[in-house]
Amino acid sequence: MIVFRDVSLVYPNGVRALSEVSLTVARGEFLFLVGSTGQGKSSLLKCITREVRPTDGEVEVDGQALSLLRPGDIPYLRRKVGVVFQDFKLLHNKTVWENVAYALQVTGARSRDVLRRVPRMLDMVGLAHKSKMFPYELSGGEQQRTAIARSLVNNPLILLCDEPTGNLDPQTSGEIMTLLARINAKGTTVIVATHNQGIVDRMRRRVVRLVNGRITHDEERGRYHVGLG
Amino acid sequence: MWDWGRVRFFWAEVVQNFTRNVPMALTAIGTVAISIILLGVFLYLRTSFDSVMKTLVDQVALSIYLRDDARPGDVRALAARLAADPRVDSVRYVSKKQAIEHLRQTLRGQFNLNLLNTNPLPNTIVVHARHPADIPVLAQELGRSPAVAAVNYGQGITEKLLRAERWLSAAGLIVVGLLLVATALIMYNTIRLTVFARQREIHIMQLVGATGWTVRWPFVFEGILSGLCGALLGLTALALVYHSLAPAFVVNLPFLPFHPTSVSPLHLSLELLTIGVLVGMLSSLLSVSRYVEVA
Ligand SMILES: Nc1ncnc2c1ncn2[C@@H]1O[C@H](COP(=O)(O)OP(=O)(O)OP(=O)(O)O)[C@@H](O)[C@H]1O
Ligand SMILES: [Mg+2]
Repeated sequence: MIVFRDVSLVYPNGVRALSEVSLTVARGEFLFLVGSTGQGKSSLLKCITREVRPTDGEVEVDGQALSLLRPGDIPYLRRKVGVVFQDFKLLHNKTVWENVAYALQVTGARSRDVLRRVPRMLDMVGLAHKSKMFPYELSGGEQQRTAIARSLVNNPLILLCDEPTGNLDPQTSGEIMTLLARINAKGTTVIVATHNQGIVDRMRRRVVRLVNGRITHDEERGRYHVGLG
Repeated sequence: MWDWGRVRFFWAEVVQNFTRNVPMALTAIGTVAISIILLGVFLYLRTSFDSVMKTLVDQVALSIYLRDDARPGDVRALAARLAADPRVDSVRYVSKKQAIEHLRQTLRGQFNLNLLNTNPLPNTIVVHARHPADIPVLAQELGRSPAVAAVNYGQGITEKLLRAERWLSAAGLIVVGLLLVATALIMYNTIRLTVFARQREIHIMQLVGATGWTVRWPFVFEGILSGLCGALLGLTALALVYHSLAPAFVVNLPFLPFHPTSVSPLHLSLELLTIGVLVGMLSSLLSVSRYVEVA
């Protein structure tokens, strides 16, 4: 489903964020991407959505080599990949409902489908009662849940979550992870970048560790501390 | 086929952006309105000034004085030539009798023309040219006919008048052109700022899978709407001022190049409206396109 072949990423300012990363994620897999801050987790995820372009190597998503993508194809790639951004990236001038609906509307969905799917997503993340609020009227955790609802409304093939529990208490974090597991069980490939030791250790899924932009460990049914001795 | 769901979606986007960014929308509309007012006043003054100049220039006529002893054949040849010449607009024949009659009326007894025992005035052909600028050349050509005693079109003064008209008209065109560019730039810059303020939004739209045109369309509609509202506002202001002030100007300051009948308000309004809408639309489109990724 996702293949990285010797991918390196150097930002225009000269920072080397990824070095020769090779990684294969199968369809329907669930993977944790761990590593302390600044090791390249977000950068790796951004390669999958073509938010950044690797300096070297090739990324393949759903059988498609991203280096061959024309600009006009990028939106269609992104519709296959739901993303919960580390900084949420909600639209400030739209309500919760509109933020979630937007990701669906841009795909040309009929309003009937929008009216059916958006409430379902909001129910799922427990925000139905705040659907008319604006992002600045929400707590951090509620914003995060809005972002999760938006990432899922399209029924994406792949779900990328960058620190999806960063602002949540352990109880809510647990609930979110249960939700992600359920989505994964329905066939969606899920990658979660996180510092949250608790959820990684509880779930016992594949764990990939990034250190300085390199993959140092990759373990099935791993724990947060893989590779840290 | 039109997908009304899509149209409704774009329209809702536009309305939302307007109603949730009122100060910004008003800034754009206000800028367009002021630009349109400026342009409107200038276009109006130029058009009416031009028409004053044109009236003046149109009065330039060529008088061909015929010899008293001209042969009828030569006169007929001259008349035929005038009738065939494409530069000639109208020809009027004034006989000696008519001329003296006209003079008599003009002088109204201040001078007793009966004291003259012959009529000293020649038979005259008065020629108006389609383009007054052609008159000097025409005069020269026609003067060579054996039937012609002399030609007169106010030599000297007429040339100066024609030159002045050409200059002023060109200068007016340049000023209007510059003003058009200046106001377009002002509108563009304001609209660009309103789009700039929404850079983040544009980026996010693309991250969730919006195509370039899905992002652009609402902005284009907004640009059109800003342009339209601004232009209408500006036109309303212009109309109010025009209707309350113009009659007073015409009466009290008749020497001003104010010529209400020469300018069609409808025509001018349509021009300004078109300018407002076009500039609004293009400004939005250009601005938003800078932030639509082409990576
Ligand atoms: N747009 C950018 N331009 C330049 N350098 C960047 C950019 N984004 C990230 N970096 C750098 O790339 C490196 C990796 O950053 P990245 O965001 O991938 O880390 P991360 O593992 O997600 O960290 P965190 O856990 O704090 O989110 C860092 O050194 C960072 O400074
Ligand atoms: Mg990160």
